[in-house]
Amino acid sequence: MNYLMLIFTDGVSTPEIAATMQEHTPKWVEEMDGRGVRLLGNGLEGPDSAKTVRVRGGQTLISDGPFADTKEFIGGLDIIEAESLDEAIEVAAKHPVSWYFAVEVRPFKYAVEIPKDWTYDQVRYLLMSCIDGPAELDQLEEQVRGDIEAWLELAQARGARLVGGPLAEPSTATTVRVRDGETLLTDGPFADTKEFLAGIDILSCETMEEALELAAANPLARLHMLEVRPFWGG
Amino acid sequence: MSETRVEAAVQAAFKDEWGRVVATLIRRTGDWDLAEECAQEAFAQALISWARDGVPAKPGAWLTTVAGNRALDRLRRGARGAQLLEQIAYDPLRSPSADKDDEDDDQEPDVIEDDRLRLMFTCCHPALALEARVALTLRALAGLTTAEIARAFLVPEPTMAKRLVRAKAKIAAAAIPYRVPPPELLPERTPGVLAVIYLLYNEGYAASSGDELIRAGLCDEAIRLARLLRRLMPGEPEAAALQALMLLQHSRRDARVDSGGDLVTLEDQDRGLWHRDEIAEAEALLAEGGRAESQGALDDAGWAGGEASRDDAGWAGPNSSIGPYRAQAEIALLHTREPTDWVRIVALYRALAKATNSPVVELNLAVAVAMAGDLEAGLALVNELAQRGELGSYHLLPATRADLLRRRGELEQAAAEYQQALELAPTEAERRFLRRRIAELAG
Repeated sequence: MNYLMLIFTDGVSTPEIAATMQEHTPKWVEEMDGRGVRLLGNGLEGPDSAKTVRVRGGQTLISDGPFADTKEFIGGLDIIEAESLDEAIEVAAKHPVSWYFAVEVRPFKYAVEIPKDWTYDQVRYLLMSCIDGPAELDQLEEQVRGDIEAWLELAQARGARLVGGPLAEPSTATTVRVRDGETLLTDGPFADTKEFLAGIDILSCETMEEALELAAANPLARLHMLEVRPFWGG
Repeated sequence: MSETRVEAAVQAAFKDEWGRVVATLIRRTGDWDLAEECAQEAFAQALISWARDGVPAKPGAWLTTVAGNRALDRLRRGARGAQLLEQIAYDPLRSPSADKDDEDDDQEPDVIEDDRLRLMFTCCHPALALEARVALTLRALAGLTTAEIARAFLVPEPTMAKRLVRAKAKIAAAAIPYRVPPPELLPERTPGVLAVIYLLYNEGYAASSGDELIRAGLCDEAIRLARLLRRLMPGEPEAAALQALMLLQHSRRDARVDSGGDLVTLEDQDRGLWHRDEIAEAEALLAEGGRAESQGALDDAGWAGGEASRDDAGWAGPNSSIGPYRAQAEIALLHTREPTDWVRIVALYRALAKATNSPVVELNLAVAVAMAGDLEAGLALVNELAQRGELGSYHLLPATRADLLRRRGELEQAAAEYQQALELAPTEAERRFLRRRIAELAG
C-alpha cells in the first residue's frame, strides 16, 4: 500500500526543535530507506515560493502563494510503502516533525511506480492538484480522464514527470502527532479547509517556467487549480 | 414448531451469533457490507428453515455456513468475485473449524482464532473518529440497525448512515488492518476498546432524552461486549474490571430514580432494589483478578488504613498500580457495603486521580476525603479545583461544594451554591433534584 506522508509545520522553530530535526531526520531517512518503507521524498521550499495556477477562459492565471493560505503549511513529503495503516502510523510517529507539529498520512488511490534509479536531481518541483470546494472525486476523474492521459503523455515526452498520482479521498487521511511519547491520531486531513489536495506529481523540469507551463496544461487547471512548489536544492 | 418459539430462537441466536457471523465473513471476504448483508439474509433464512426443520443443534455454525454460502454466491456473480474467490480458496468458508468453534461455547475461546476480537479492535481503531468507532461497534458486533444507532445517539438516520459508510470506506481505502494488534501495540490499543464499551454504557446510563428504551438497551449491549472481551482477552485484567464496574453501576438502575422520575443519591437509595446477583457477579470478577494484589499496590502507596493525608508520594504510576477501571470498580463495590469504607475509597480515588489526571476524579476524591471524616480537607480540595478552573461550568462542582457546606452547617452559602448548580445542570431530573435540595435548606 502506498501512502503520502505530508510533513506539516508552522515554520516557527526554536534552537531545540532545530537541533532535534537535524539529528533525527537523517536517522529516520536512514531507517526507513533501510526498511524499504520510504520510496522517495524531500523537503520543500517555503510557501513564499509557491505559485498557484488556474486557466480560465483560455487565460493562464498565476498567483503567488499556496492554494490554501493557512498558518501551517506543507514543509515536505515522503512517499512510503507500508503493509497497513498501522505501519504507516508507526513510520509517521517516528518522524521528528510529528513530535512538534504533525504528519498527515493519506493513501494513494492507486499504487505508484517510482523509477528505481531516481536521484535527488530529478526531485525538483511538486505539482499539487487542488480541488476548490466539495467535489465528487470519482466524477471529476471520469470527466478529465482522457485529458489527463494526454497530459501524462506530454509530461512523459518531455521527460518532466518523475512520479505521481491521485490520492484517496481526504476523509481517508489520518493526522499523526506525538506528544509526551504518546501517539495521538486524528481522523481526517491536517487542514480541514474548503480546498483540498487531490493528487500530486513530482516534476523534474529544469525551471519554474517549465513547471508552470506543465501545470497550466493540466486539465485540472481549467476546473480547479494547481500549486507548484520547488523542492529543496531544486 | 410454533412460530413464536422459532422467532425466540432466532432472536436469541441473533444476540449470541451476529457478531461472530459478521466477524468471520469480514475476515474471509474483506467486505464489511457484504458481510452484514449476508448475515442479515442468513437470519432471515433461519426464520423460514428453522420453522420447517427445527432449530439446528448448533445455530451459530448453521448461520455462519448459510451466510458464507450467500457470500460465495454473490461473489461468483460479482465483478470482483473471481479475484476474491481465488483469495478465499485458501480459506474455504466451510472450514471444519467452524463447527468446532461452536461446540465449546463455555470454554475459553482461542484468543488468536476468534474473529470477533479482530472485529472489536478494527471497529475501535484510533484512526477512526470516536463516534464512528462507537457506531461501527454497535452495527458490526452488536447487530443494531443504522436506524437504532441513530435513535440511540439522537442524530438523523442519514447522518448515522453517512458516518458508517465513511468509516468503512476509510478502513478499506487506508488499509486499517483487520487484526488483533501485535503485543507491542496492545497496551496502546486496548484502552481504546475499553473506552468505546464504557462510552456505550454511559450513553445508556445517562439516558435523559430521546428514545429511552433503546438508550437504556445500550447498557446491556455494553455489558455483553465487555463480557465477550473478557473471555477473548483472559490476560487483560482491565477487561474484567470494566465488566465488573458496569455490572455494579447497572445493579442500581432501579434505585437511582424514584417513581416520580427523580434522581436518588446513593446514600438515599433503597438497597432492596439493587440487583444482588449482578453485584455478586462483579465481586467474583474482581476477586478473580486478585484483590490481594491491588490491596498490596495500595499498601505500597502508603494509603490503605492511613489518614486522608494530602501527601502523594509513592504512587509509581499505572504500571505498578491498579488500572483505572479496576480502581473504579473497587470503589463501586465498596459503595455496596455498609458501613462504607471511605478511607479505602480515598486511597482508590487518589490512585485514580494520579493515573487519569482527571479533575472530575479529583472532585470525587474531595467528596471521599470529606466523607472519610475530614470535611475541611475535602472542602479545601474542592476550592482548589474551582480555582484551577478546569471544570469550567460543570454543575457538579458547585453542587459538591454546596453539599459539603451543608454538612458543615453553612446553610445559606450552601443554598447559593446549589442555586449556581441549578443554573448549570443539563437535565431536568438533575434540576428537580437541586430544587429539592434548595427547598430542604430553606425549610
